[in-house]
Amino acid sequence: MYAHAGIVLGVMAGVFALARLFKITTELSMLAAAIGGAIAHGGLISPRHIADGAFTYFDVTLIFITATFFMNLLKHAGGVDYIIRGIINRFHRHRLLCLLFLTLVMLVPGALTGSGSVTVLVVGTLVGTVLTYMGISKDRVAAIIFLCAAMSAAAPPINLWAMMAAAGSNMPYVGFFLPLGVISVLGALFSMFFLGWKGTPVQLDKVMAELPEPAQGMAGWKVLLPFVVFFGLVLAGRIWPWTMPTLGLPLMFMIAAAVTVAVSPKRLPIFTVARETVQGLLPLIGVMVVVGILVQIMALSGARGLISLGVVTLPLPVIFAALWLILPFSEGLVQYAAAPLLGVPLILLFNMKGINPIIALAGMAVMFPIGDMLPPTTVVGRATTMAVGFKGSYYRGFVKRCLIPAAFILLLGTLYIIFGNELSFLVAG
Amino acid sequence: MKANREWIIKGIALAVWAGVLVSSGIAFAQHRQYKEAVVLGAGVVDVRTLGDYFEPLKGTTNDCNIYILDSGVPGGTLLIMGAVHAEEPATNLAAQLIVENASATTGRIIVAIHENRSGSTVTRPGDAYPQFFTIETDWGEKKFRMGDRWANPLDSWPDPETYVHYPSGQLLAYMDVRNMNRTWPGRPNGSLAERTSYAFMRLIEEEGVDLTIDLHEAELEYPIIGTIVAHQGALDVAAMVSMMLTAQEFTIGMEISPLALHGLSHREIGDFSDSPCILLEAPEPFLDRVRGVTDEALLLTGQDEFVMKAGEHGLLYWPIDENGWPIDIRVARHVRTIEKITELWTRFHPDEAMVVAGFPTYNEMVELGVGHFFHDPSTVSQDRVAFE
Amino acid sequence: MTIMIVYYAITAFFGAVLFWNFVKSKDVQKAILYLVILMPFVLRVFRLK
Ligand SMILES: [Zn+2]
Repeated sequence: MYAHAGIVLGVMAGVFALARLFKITTELSMLAAAIGGAIAHGGLISPRHIADGAFTYFDVTLIFITATFFMNLLKHAGGVDYIIRGIINRFHRHRLLCLLFLTLVMLVPGALTGSGSVTVLVVGTLVGTVLTYMGISKDRVAAIIFLCAAMSAAAPPINLWAMMAAAGSNMPYVGFFLPLGVISVLGALFSMFFLGWKGTPVQLDKVMAELPEPAQGMAGWKVLLPFVVFFGLVLAGRIWPWTMPTLGLPLMFMIAAAVTVAVSPKRLPIFTVARETVQGLLPLIGVMVVVGILVQIMALSGARGLISLGVVTLPLPVIFAALWLILPFSEGLVQYAAAPLLGVPLILLFNMKGINPIIALAGMAVMFPIGDMLPPTTVVGRATTMAVGFKGSYYRGFVKRCLIPAAFILLLGTLYIIFGNELSFLVAG
Repeated sequence: MKANREWIIKGIALAVWAGVLVSSGIAFAQHRQYKEAVVLGAGVVDVRTLGDYFEPLKGTTNDCNIYILDSGVPGGTLLIMGAVHAEEPATNLAAQLIVENASATTGRIIVAIHENRSGSTVTRPGDAYPQFFTIETDWGEKKFRMGDRWANPLDSWPDPETYVHYPSGQLLAYMDVRNMNRTWPGRPNGSLAERTSYAFMRLIEEEGVDLTIDLHEAELEYPIIGTIVAHQGALDVAAMVSMMLTAQEFTIGMEISPLALHGLSHREIGDFSDSPCILLEAPEPFLDRVRGVTDEALLLTGQDEFVMKAGEHGLLYWPIDENGWPIDIRVARHVRTIEKITELWTRFHPDEAMVVAGFPTYNEMVELGVGHFFHDPSTVSQDRVAFE
Repeated sequence: MTIMIVYYAITAFFGAVLFWNFVKSKDVQKAILYLVILMPFVLRVFRLK
């Protein structure tokens, strides 16, 4: 079994490297690796495993597409330009207030949806533009957007990693609000102020002259209305969960998109915007679909089990010392699948060793999203650089900038796990 | 020239793609439409469907069969629910084995083989489950569907942004709105799983069920395993069953259903009806995250080197050795525990007596294999065959 | 029920967009990736998975 799973893993790595050598894109190289691994596992397997794997993150894919579609429509209608002008007009004199306000704006979408990508897609461009006008370099802006997005995904009420790991270990998703809230808000504030405090004051006249004029007939309520409708639907689902029909996030975004189209001062080219949306998201959703296929083949061949086993059989001190590396990299490798894959065995392990599982899981659940900038998937990281228009080197420019605040967040997470019992008082929330 | 080459590659890709889609589409459709034959044992006097208790469920995927084994002698009524989680095959096999072999001599037994049938028509994306498994019988191979923990999205789509459990208001992961062991006691206008739970609550009420048994299997990494979880209303019986079986036959633990965990059968059924609920967990190494090759063999033998390794490191809540946990033993544990529960229930509640017959013994099931107790549907009259 | 139908419509709409992008894409690798992404969309719309 060890040899078999090891060989499959080796073949996968080999095929991937070879494909990359022949200038094949990361996504297709991973697909090739999956097919190579499948053949190494047992010759020609049933192709339904490919289709099955492609479904792994289908829900999340639909959320990404509809959220981005909505934001792109708003952009076309001129709404984004309008909001940016508004924020700069209002806050250009108070850097502290401005940064606090922007942190809050960043935290909300991901806190409600559990997805850092949604944060980047919904408000990333907008906040990024404001930060740029505050005299912050593009690499720092990208780092801020990414880290705040990661913390928004970690922030309560919805933290998908904690929810998936809790569900997998039959623990109720209860008592996480304060543990997650404290750590994610601290992380977001630290990132924002560490990277964004220094800058130049906003030169209002210059900025206003440079910013594109919003479309004729654009007004505050026209920008606000789709957001009000969207958050209204989310809230209504929470306040009246049993009388509201279940809409689901994709439909909520589509309704917000419809509102945008309805109030837009100009006619919007819907099909063109949809095509642009899918084009822009290609690397993102491409990677998710391909990773799903890869995970399926790894599960089939025992390669997934070998990796899981390798992690949980490490001695406890080594786990404490290495989790801050293992969790982000596993996230980079398999996305949300990392939570059931490693989160569940780890949480059961911690529980067995007498560490408060809620605090430990909260600590782990803020470390996962840091990995969204790491290869091979780099999902949120790439979305961020796309959203803020960062053109420099991905690793030497963007990732390097993220390192110090990321280390801060990972340290907090590790402390949570080690001092889980001392921090139990947080669970009362 | 270049454009030509581009179109040729795209054409080939399209053809390969269509091939993958068609063949996997056929595989998915065959799995979803496959029907398992159930030979009605002598004890079965009626086969109803869940929709009989809650009209809106009629004709849906979850309008599962309800087998009534009635002794005609007044006594207690026992409800047995299999495959709440369709990825736990010892549960529907145990339930089906009872339908094909057992009868009641006092009181009634009501059985649902696939409680959340929708979940048995799909396997989990990314987890590489086999779609089917076969059990060796005396007359050939008998094929069963492997399923998933959650209802099929084809029957229940979309999921909410967050699942808010009714009526506690407890927040749960969004996909658990399709997990039938998180939707009790259910509601008439909810998701498919919530409606199915609601229908079962109506059944419990209408049939005057005195005790409900909910069958499960779990991974060895999960602390609630090899055990009986009991609602406070059935604590005495569960404790006694656990003690007697552990002393005389096989180890089985006992736990009290936690008060703060909502949506679970052992909590809500007892709280919202007159029937306490007992949940049984058998060990299924196939579900462990650290498992090796995922295939039918692992599903049926429960033998896995990686899971054993995790056990050596003290990471498991249940022992495992190179013999694994074969399906025969897992089914036998369930069937035998159910029989023991009826025995002790009758002792504690003589006015709600449940006396059963035709249960194979634990040793018979382990030695002859569970397949021995499934009957050939082609040799009986077709009105004695039901389909799941 | 109505909402479920709307979801099939949304899926079909973006499925069509994905397919159109496949047809129009000049980059063969991107075209293939579009097809891979399209797989779950088609299987869902035809109610196969
Ligand atoms: Zn179960």
